Amino acid sequence: MTRFLLSLCAGLALMFSAPAQAQEPLRIIIDEAIIEPLPFAAPAFQAESPAAGQMASDLASVVAADLIGTGLFREIPSSAYISTVNDFNAPVQYADWKAINAQALVTGAVNVQGNNLNVKFRLYDVFSGAELGSGLQFSGTVDGWRRMAHKVSDAVYARITGEGPYFDSRVVYVSETGPKDDRKKRLAIMDYDGANVQYLTDSGAIVLAPRFSPSGDRVLYTSYESGFPRIYVLDIGSVSRRVLESAEGTMSFAPRFSPSGQTVVYSLTQGGNTDIFQMDIASGQSVRLTNTPAIETAPSYSPDGSRIVFESDRSGTQQLYVMPATGGEAQRISFGEGRYGTPVWSPRGDLVAFTKQNKGRFHIGVMRLDGSQERLLTASFLDEGPTWAPNGRVIMFARETQGASGSSTLYSVDISGRNLRPVSTPSGGSDPSWSPLQK
Amino acid sequence: MNTGQYISGAGHIGLIAWLLLGGLFTREPEPFEMTEVSVISGADFDALMAAARPPQSTTEVAQPAQPTEAPETPELTSEPDTDIRQPAPLPTDTPPEDTPPELAEQTPPPEAPVQDPPPDLAEPVGDVAVLAPDVAPEAAPRPVERVAPEPVAQPEPEATPDPVEQEAVTPDSTGEAVEQETQEATAPEEAVSEIVTEATAAPAASSRPPGRRPAAPAPRVAEAPTETVETPAPAASDPAPSVNNDDVLAALAAAQEAVAAPTPSGPPLSAGEKDALRVAVSQCWNIGALSSEAMETTVVIGVQMNRDGTPVIDTIRMLSSSGGSDAAVRSVFDSARRAIVRCGSRGYSLPEEKFSQWQNIEMTFDPRKMGF
Repeated sequence: MTRFLLSLCAGLALMFSAPAQAQEPLRIIIDEAIIEPLPFAAPAFQAESPAAGQMASDLASVVAADLIGTGLFREIPSSAYISTVNDFNAPVQYADWKAINAQALVTGAVNVQGNNLNVKFRLYDVFSGAELGSGLQFSGTVDGWRRMAHKVSDAVYARITGEGPYFDSRVVYVSETGPKDDRKKRLAIMDYDGANVQYLTDSGAIVLAPRFSPSGDRVLYTSYESGFPRIYVLDIGSVSRRVLESAEGTMSFAPRFSPSGQTVVYSLTQGGNTDIFQMDIASGQSVRLTNTPAIETAPSYSPDGSRIVFESDRSGTQQLYVMPATGGEAQRISFGEGRYGTPVWSPRGDLVAFTKQNKGRFHIGVMRLDGSQERLLTASFLDEGPTWAPNGRVIMFARETQGASGSSTLYSVDISGRNLRPVSTPSGGSDPSWSPLQK
Repeated sequence: MNTGQYISGAGHIGLIAWLLLGGLFTREPEPFEMTEVSVISGADFDALMAAARPPQSTTEVAQPAQPTEAPETPELTSEPDTDIRQPAPLPTDTPPEDTPPELAEQTPPPEAPVQDPPPDLAEPVGDVAVLAPDVAPEAAPRPVERVAPEPVAQPEPEATPDPVEQEAVTPDSTGEAVEQETQEATAPEEAVSEIVTEATAAPAASSRPPGRRPAAPAPRVAEAPTETVETPAPAASDPAPSVNNDDVLAALAAAQEAVAAPTPSGPPLSAGEKDALRVAVSQCWNIGALSSEAMETTVVIGVQMNRDGTPVIDTIRMLSSSGGSDAAVRSVFDSARRAIVRCGSRGYSLPEEKFSQWQNIEMTFDPRKMGF
C-alpha cells in the first residue's frame, strides 16, 4: 500500500511539474548593431614619484593616441570628466563615468626611480562595473617610456577587441627626399606611429624594398650600390650589413625572409629572364623555384612557410599565383580585371594583400587564398607596397601624389577599409615593412 | 506373322496404284473470267468517290435562332427608401469653459549641498561582524592592493610585460567592512568580469528545463529569483527498498510544490513586443571595436529580468558560443553585456502582465551579417 501511495505521489509530481518544466525562456536574435568607435576615458596616470609628473601625463597621451589611431575607439575629453582619479588604488566611481558614457576606463600610475621606470595600469568595463582582466605593470628604462605606453595600449586593445596587439612594433621603410627626378633614398626605421625615426643607410645609393626578419633583428633590402641591384642583409643592432651571394652579371631583388629566418626567397634576372630562387643564408646556396620565360617576382611566404605567393605575367597579364615553397606547379588566384602585384601573405594566413592597377588607378586590396572575397581598400593615383601589421588587422602602404612635385607618403588602413590615415614621418616614405611584435 | 507382310504389301500396292491412277481424280482448271477495264481521269475518279462517300456525321448542334426582339425589362415597382430619421440628440448642458490654470512661477529648489556622510563604522572588536550600512556608496573600495608594489625584475635591454603580482585576498583581517552596491543588486565586480565565472554562477533554480544543459552550481549571489520552479525531489523516481511514511510525505510535498510553482500565464509576447526588445538591445550593441574574428563569432547570453524591465546584471551569463577563439568569444560577450546593461538601465519596454513570459531571456548575438 505504501509503495502504491509513493508511486501515486511521484506520478502526481511528474504530471504537475511537466508544465513548469516546459517553461522556455524568451528567445530573441540580435543580428543588428551599431558600428561606432567605443568611447573610453584615459585620465592622466598617477605620478607616484616626483620625477614622474610629466611622464605620467605623456604616457596617458600615447595610450590614448594609440587607441584612437585604430579608429575603433573615441576618447572622451578630460573636460567632460565628473570625477577624477587621484589614487590608483581608489575605488572607481562608475556612476560618474557612466554619466559621460565612458564605456572603458584606463587608469595608471608611474614611478620613476633614477633611470628606472615602472608603469602599471588597470582597465575597467564601466557599465558592467567590473575590471577587464587583471592589472599589469611594466618595468624598463626612462628612455623606453613610449614602448611601455605602447605595451599598455596593446593590452587594452587586445582585451577589448579580441584582436592581437600591434602597437609595440616598428616599421622599416625607404625615406625619400628631394624632387622626383633627383630623389634621395635611404633606409629608416621608426616606431609604428612614426616616432623615433632612425636612419640605417646614407643616401649614396638607391635602396629598395626593405623586409624585416621574423625576429625583427635583421633587414633585407635591395641596393644599387654596385650599379646593379643586389640584396643586402643588415643587422639593426650593429647597423652592419653584408651582401648576399649572387653570380656576376645577374640582378637580384625583391627578397623576403622565410618564417624560420634561415632562408631567403628572391627574384633573379639572368639572361633577360626573371625567376624566383630560394637561398640558404648560412651556406649561400640557391635553388630555383620557377622556370618559365615570364617575369616572376615579389615572392612572399605563407606564415607556416609551406607556400609562396608571387606575381607573374605567364598568362599574359600580371597576376598572382601560389606555389609550394619548394617550387612546382603554381595555381593562379587572381582573376579580376586589371593587373595584380606585390602580394603579401597575412600573418594570420587567411588573406593576401596586393597592389592592383585597373583603369589608370591603383588600389590596395585583400583577397582570400582562393582568390575569393577580393576587397579593394584604397584608390588613388599610385598606391603600392602593402605590409601587414603583426596582428593582421592593419595594412601600411605608400601613396604617391601626381605631378613633378608629387611625393610619397606612408598610409595605414584597416582591413575593413575604414580608418585610412597617413603615418607621420619627417620626410616622404615608401616601401614600408612592418616588424613583428617586439619582445 | 504373315499378317504384317500382307498389310505392308497391300499398302505398297495401294500407294503405287494411287501414283499411277491419281491423275484421273483431279479437276480440270476452270476457265478465266475476263473483265474489261477502262481508264478514267482523276476528276472522274473524284466524282465517283464523292458519290460513293457516306454521309458525314456532325456534332454541331444547330443554335436556336436569336430572338428578334429583346425581352422586356420588368418595371421596378419598388420605391426608393426614405431617409432614416435619426433621433435628435438630447440637449445637454454646455460645459463651462476650462479656465486655464494659473501658472505659478516655478522656482528651482534651493540647491542643497549633497553630502553623503560616510557610514559610521564601528571599530570591530574581536570577531564581531560589522554590518554594512543600508545605503552604501556605489563603488566599493578594494580591500587589497591588486598591483604589486614592487616592480618585477627589469629585463635587459627591452621592457617586458610582467603580470601584476596580486596579493592574496583575505577576508577582512582588519575587520574593515566591504561596502556593496545596493541600487542594482550587482554581484561582486570580480564575479562578472570573467565569462567562466558568470557561466558557472547561473542560478541553479532557473526555470529552464533541467535536462537542457549541465546543472549550474549554486549561485554566488544570495538573491534568489522571486519565481522559481523547484525541481521535484528525485526520490520519487527512485524509490528506496525500505519505504516509510517520510518518503511518502516528501513525495507529497514535492508534488505540492510542483503544483504551486508558477507557470507561464497570459498570452505570449507578440511579434511586435519581441521586435521592440530586439531593436532596443541592438541600438546599444556596438560592434565597432570587435576584431575580424569576433565578427564571425556568435554567443548566446542568458539574463533574468526584473519586473520593471531592467536586467539583473549579475545573472548575465554566456550560455554557448560558436566560432572564434576564446578571445573573440570574450570580446563579443563583453560587448553584448554592455549592450544589455546600457540600454536596460532604465528598463526595457516590456508588458508587465506578461512578466512570466520574459522573466528569463536568451539573446543570441550574431554579428556575422555585419562583417567586413
